[in-house]
Amino acid sequence: MRLTLLGGFLGSGKTTWLRHQLHAGVFPDAYVVVNEAADTPVDDALLSRASTIEVLAGGCACCEARGELVALLRRLCDLRSRTASDSARLEHVVLETSGLADPAEILDAIRSDPVLVHHVFVSETVVCVDALHGLAQLVEEPLGRRQAEAANRLVITKLDEAPSASIGRLVATLRSINPDAVIEGAVKGSPVSAPTAAGEDAVALPQLDGSAAGPIFPTRLSLDDQIDWTAFGVWLSALLHARGNDVMRVKGVVRTSAGRLLLQSVRKVVQSPEILPPQDDRDDDTIVVIGRGYRAEDLRRSLERFAGVKQREQGSIFEGVS
Amino acid sequence: MCSVCGFPAAAGHWTETGGASPTDRLRSRYRRAQVLKSVLRDFGLTAHDDGLVPGVQIGTMSGSVSIARDLDEVWCTVERMLGQPIDPLDARFIGQGDG
Repeated sequence: MRLTLLGGFLGSGKTTWLRHQLHAGVFPDAYVVVNEAADTPVDDALLSRASTIEVLAGGCACCEARGELVALLRRLCDLRSRTASDSARLEHVVLETSGLADPAEILDAIRSDPVLVHHVFVSETVVCVDALHGLAQLVEEPLGRRQAEAANRLVITKLDEAPSASIGRLVATLRSINPDAVIEGAVKGSPVSAPTAAGEDAVALPQLDGSAAGPIFPTRLSLDDQIDWTAFGVWLSALLHARGNDVMRVKGVVRTSAGRLLLQSVRKVVQSPEILPPQDDRDDDTIVVIGRGYRAEDLRRSLERFAGVKQREQGSIFEGVS
Repeated sequence: MCSVCGFPAAAGHWTETGGASPTDRLRSRYRRAQVLKSVLRDFGLTAHDDGLVPGVQIGTMSGSVSIARDLDEVWCTVERMLGQPIDPLDARFIGQGDG
């Protein structure tokens, strides 16, 4: 069962965007779950186009209502499992989070649930960013920044209301926080051409809540014969355990005996790798690590020293170092 | 659930995806123990995986042993035993300082 997460700050246009997507038939037969931090649900009245809609009101799904979200998703999995696989059954859930939710927390909730981890595949994290207020939210709110960091796809909304220079600054800043995400534009929910940085510079973001300073940059790591998938897994799990707040995102395709694996992580949460169809691609066995607070060459050297143990030999990885 | 050690059937860890056959999975477990062993040796810890007991057994020189179900738990156990996490970006791994 695929799950699309839709996040974004309060009033960033999540519901408007979702409403248009449903109207345009982008998510056919999707089961829509709307989470609202407030006790009185409003959004469900707007989203009448959805075939099935469920509202989780009275708490944000990443903290207070986390248990309810897990219970709801479990119920959907159960429902799906009871339907015969040759008949039409629930394949897609769209979860609109509240404006106060951190998408990474929701991924963590799904990942740490023993039932959901086997049933739910998070296909995409879409985050809406308000063209008018988005920049201020990135600068001032740690939450706004975390939401933008967790996205696969950033939708900049209300493009018609903001001057192009400030949109350019917003795009450049988003690029510096999350170099990997696809950026799209939207006006009242309908897609418009993606805005570009247009020569504007990124706004320097002040340090918040004790996170490591420094720019966020991508590093390419290639895995050679010496470093196999298992050794790489040992290294990456140690890295994420120790530096999970600095390593924002890891992405790449690795060849293993089971096939080509698509590896993806957001902060400390690693998705169960998806097995891709075989295909000759030179980008295989290359991992992109996006993060801050370290140097690119350190990452490479660390991987070699940490995980470069020769197979079937008990050689110390520290030989030749001290 | 394992009736001897009471380990519940855990959700698969992401690193366990790479094995297509039981042989591959067993080989991957031995390989994981080998890498862990060589990393942990310099911290005075041992890693052992006999392929039968679920998980990896992390031991100290004084003989206490903990079973860690997956790699996430391994690093939590190691952090508890050492008092601090093992950071792969530490000077000893990136070849700076006295290593």
